[in-house]
Amino acid sequence: MPEAPGRDFSGNIPTERRFPLHLEPAIGTIRELYDAAKQARWDPERDIPWGEFAGSRYSRQTLAAAALSWSRRAWTEYGGLPETPALIIRFCLEHERESDPKYFLTVRNTEEAWHLECCYRFAELCGGFVAEPAGAAYRALFERGLHRQALDAACSLDAYVAAQIAIGDGIDLELSRLARDNAREPVARAILDRLVADKTRHAAFGWLYLRQRAASWGETERAAIAEDVADVVRNVELAGFRCVWLCDGAADIAEADRTTRDAGLGATTRDEEEPALRRFLLGATAQFAELGVDLPHSLLPS
Amino acid sequence: MSLADTHAEPAGRKPTLLDQPECRFPLALGVEIRKIRDLFRAATRNQWDPKTDIDWSALAGLDLDDAHRYAARMYWSRRAWSEYGAISESPALLIRFCQERREPDLRYFFTIRTQEESRHAEACYLMAEHLGGYIQQPALVDFQKSVATHGVRKMALDPETPLEAIIAALVCAAEEVAFDVFRHLVEITPNKAANQVLRSIMRDEVRHCGFGWAYLEHRIPQMTRAEIDVCERAVITMIRDVEMNGYHSAWLAPESPASRDEVEADRLTWEAGLGATVEELEKPVFVASVKSIRERLAPFGIAIPLFEHPKFDGLV
Repeated sequence: MPEAPGRDFSGNIPTERRFPLHLEPAIGTIRELYDAAKQARWDPERDIPWGEFAGSRYSRQTLAAAALSWSRRAWTEYGGLPETPALIIRFCLEHERESDPKYFLTVRNTEEAWHLECCYRFAELCGGFVAEPAGAAYRALFERGLHRQALDAACSLDAYVAAQIAIGDGIDLELSRLARDNAREPVARAILDRLVADKTRHAAFGWLYLRQRAASWGETERAAIAEDVADVVRNVELAGFRCVWLCDGAADIAEADRTTRDAGLGATTRDEEEPALRRFLLGATAQFAELGVDLPHSLLPS
Repeated sequence: MSLADTHAEPAGRKPTLLDQPECRFPLALGVEIRKIRDLFRAATRNQWDPKTDIDWSALAGLDLDDAHRYAARMYWSRRAWSEYGAISESPALLIRFCQERREPDLRYFFTIRTQEESRHAEACYLMAEHLGGYIQQPALVDFQKSVATHGVRKMALDPETPLEAIIAALVCAAEEVAFDVFRHLVEITPNKAANQVLRSIMRDEVRHCGFGWAYLEHRIPQMTRAEIDVCERAVITMIRDVEMNGYHSAWLAPESPASRDEVEADRLTWEAGLGATVEELEKPVFVASVKSIRERLAPFGIAIPLFEHPKFDGLV
């Protein structure tokens, strides 16, 4: 069994000193995201036209491919269920931190549950949810223990946000947009529309937070951020966590995604993902440079 | 906050759930406890926004003297601190559900439960703000301890504390008492904004309690007598040592300057019609609540005794 690319847990989590308890709006941009998220609330049951799915239009092979593509999407979405609560707690454990990120993350976690429910249900409609990846190397990318890393006192919270949210959620958003643009089937399209709308806020949160924090960083913090970002790019993203064509152990999913994409059922292929990934990493490297964090040039895929 | 500012717990600690490797596959996502999945869906349908769904104008131009206004600010600030505890502590239960690969319905439900706790904290904060200003911390150190050491996070991350015992004590006992008091507050609070806030929170809390009862109903038939005994002890401890020690109701707390201040602030807030209650009104609500918890737990084989407390004539 390949080892997951997660960090070792130091065994220590920060200790809470709850008071003075700041509940006032402090980071206006993130408070606006929180308020927008509350107003953008939706209901998978009511807002997705489940009844419009016409499975009989597709071959058995196409439906099986779509079931795998959407199961993979569900495995990815599921990550937020253990990770986001850990991140909420971590923000609460840090002394005298603003309430805005805490509030925002509680809404993000609900949205992750809605995404998960939709992806699972659509996989079921296409013939059945697949409960686990076939390849051990690919599976290991999901079991990184991010909840543990988020709570680990030895890990910088800002570096975590930089790596897992600015980079991870940022790439997720770009790929979800591509999948949405390819989706012609109404249920797949409606789900991906909702996912993209929510993920736009999730990705924005990361950069807004980092911009707010950048002035407080010293050299040590900047180095920790650069190191964590490089680690996630090299060992997670370029290992094929989201772009499955980069992972030797996920050829079955890459193949399924081609079929799913061609049928308009909401997936993307290497031809579309590769330039999007490159563009994203270039843009992110420039944004980090503006924040005083220099990422190694070797991060960009050749 | 940088790493240098964190205060790590000492080495030589007891292993927690965080020391265990993550193993999430095969990933079950289907419905296993229908009642809890339905609660998740009901919560999705019934979201509200404290900023836009409360008539805050009902707090404008209130004819309040300084003492009543300050008491009401303190009452709602205190309530915000208490709601915040559920943001800071309870998400650990979701980590536990995931790490132990418990029924997926629990995981879905808890995501939205935490969001609801955010709404509650925000609504209580806004009440305090509209009444003159949120207060960031208690004046007295012993009160600070009482609101800051809820302990759910630690229990949730301790693999040796049975999950069922945590749910029985925290939800079926403590949250049930809180819900009954909320219902009482809704009945007696005349100010429109305060009433709307209390009613909105109560509507969420009824699902939180429903979650606990549905989970016990599902789990108890699969549990041994010894495991049920652990739940029983946890509920008794919660009622006797936490609730009857003033966790939710200050008049039940041992006499101290902090509890006296809190009782006084509650009385002034109640007089102003802004949302608190007083000992003479809450006492029968508390007695009925404990009685109801006892009756509902009995069919599960969880026997809750009668309790003694100096504030009550006879046993509760």
